[in-house]
Amino acid sequence: MILRRAGTYILLTAIALAFVGPFLILLSAGLKPSHQAVFSFPPDVIPRPPVLDWVIEAWTSIPFPQYMWNSVIYVAITVPAYLIVSALCAYPLAQMRFRGRNLIFFAILSTMFLPSEVMLIPRFMVVSQLSMADTFAGVILPGILSAFGIFLLRQTFAGVPREIVDAARTDGCHELRIFWHVMLPAARPTLAILAIFGFISVWNSFLWPLVVLKDSAKYPIALGVAYLAGITGTDVRSLAAGTILSIVPVVVVFMLMQRHVLEGMRGAVKG
Amino acid sequence: MPVAATRMPGQRWYTPYLFALPALVLFGVFFAWPAVTAIQLSVLHYDVVSPPTFAGMDNFTRMLGDERFWKSLLNSVLFLIGMFPLLVVLPLLLAVLVNQKVPGIRTFRMLYYLPVVTSMVAVGVAWEYVFHQQGVLNWMLTAFGLLDQPIQYLLDPFWALPALVLVEGWKSMGFYMMIYLAGLQTIPTSLYEAAKVDGAGAWVRLRRITVPLMAPYIAVAFTMEMLDSMQAFTSIYVMTRGGPQDATLTLGYYIWSAAFEHYEMGYASAMGLVLWVLMIGMAVLNHRVNKGQAVVA
Repeated sequence: MILRRAGTYILLTAIALAFVGPFLILLSAGLKPSHQAVFSFPPDVIPRPPVLDWVIEAWTSIPFPQYMWNSVIYVAITVPAYLIVSALCAYPLAQMRFRGRNLIFFAILSTMFLPSEVMLIPRFMVVSQLSMADTFAGVILPGILSAFGIFLLRQTFAGVPREIVDAARTDGCHELRIFWHVMLPAARPTLAILAIFGFISVWNSFLWPLVVLKDSAKYPIALGVAYLAGITGTDVRSLAAGTILSIVPVVVVFMLMQRHVLEGMRGAVKG
Repeated sequence: MPVAATRMPGQRWYTPYLFALPALVLFGVFFAWPAVTAIQLSVLHYDVVSPPTFAGMDNFTRMLGDERFWKSLLNSVLFLIGMFPLLVVLPLLLAVLVNQKVPGIRTFRMLYYLPVVTSMVAVGVAWEYVFHQQGVLNWMLTAFGLLDQPIQYLLDPFWALPALVLVEGWKSMGFYMMIYLAGLQTIPTSLYEAAKVDGAGAWVRLRRITVPLMAPYIAVAFTMEMLDSMQAFTSIYVMTRGGPQDATLTLGYYIWSAAFEHYEMGYASAMGLVLWVLMIGMAVLNHRVNKGQAVVA
């Protein structure tokens, strides 16, 4: 029994190492002093001594703080907008009867089957026609509508007992008040999950900003890292340090919220 | 129930539409309009600089004779096949493993999920270090005697595509694991206990209980795996740029490159439509085969 238990943990740890290992290799490379080889047989992973030179170099050789700040702005605008738009749309879909309800729902669900590469070109043209190419608005607006968010919130709102909603309506409550005081509080856990997933996806967004932005001063951090990687002559240690730095915020948020994320994913699958 | 029955004071006929309005506007501007534009573009020659000209079926006939198009299609299919064991099979085993009730299991789940939350750019950079000629992977394989010579995986036309498949699979495995975990937790443990009493070993329990009961989840994972694989882009952009010798040129990357490196918007859109039709076709086929057992939309 104890042997079996030990075997389980050895297996779990070995697999964990496979998932975390590449990040540890980056971390090790980013902290190594310049006299210590990054690659060697056998691997020499402990930095002797660990130095912050490369972190500083990555931070200053490209406008790193600027890219981090840009990503913060993209998240700060996109995520709340995405929550509000999704919730507003999900409420009537869940709790009202009206002509075209199914049509609207299926139209929105169908967006999940539009491959990103297909939408890239025409969406870029639409954004250009709206004079939003190379702007923050051009990066943000197309990312607000999410079938996933509307789908999940519709499920949640549909779970609010009909009697509560009807009682509020008979009392003469305005729909907007029901939405605000009954629906949103009931959906708090779902909103939290969507906010975390939204944060992760906006922080990591790459392809769309790559297409829409020409001015590198507006790059989100993922593009900034790709830019750093593309500069010939970037030291492998500096690239490693910059890459680690770029994922710190999202990893920290995930670690703090991991319970919600993992529970939420299960809720989403069951929903 | 008639439409009017639930209409209460304070709710006018247009109320639901007002609520849905922001989403509908965004749908119209950033989904419906571009989707129509994509279809229009596919019958045009358009290089962004000069005004578009009508191309008829040119873009589609060009595809038939374009070796790089066929190569990219083949690579996308190989990608999809390669991802199958990584995203449909292995995560089920992982889910069984992390479904055990042992102390600290949440930490392990979190660690397995870590690559899912990090950006593909960071993951691509990290794996370039792993794949390095003097990197950990080459060291392990030579130390175990599986390799005589270190391989430069990303520069080798044979190994580059499998290497990318490995990276993409590794990044998403935790996500698929969680889907399966949700499914596993709906299976009553009494089933397993009864099987144990009857003397069924772990392998038999997996084959006779887990897999059949997990069929709907496997179907979902399979559909998602297909859609994900066909859209792989960032790993290729960061790690190989479609090379060496087009060995990692997938349909998605070829479309992007035709549009934004060569400014052939019409041709790229035509290829995009092919990708679109393929993806819908696969989703429908999979749905048919599984007789709509899928539980996730």
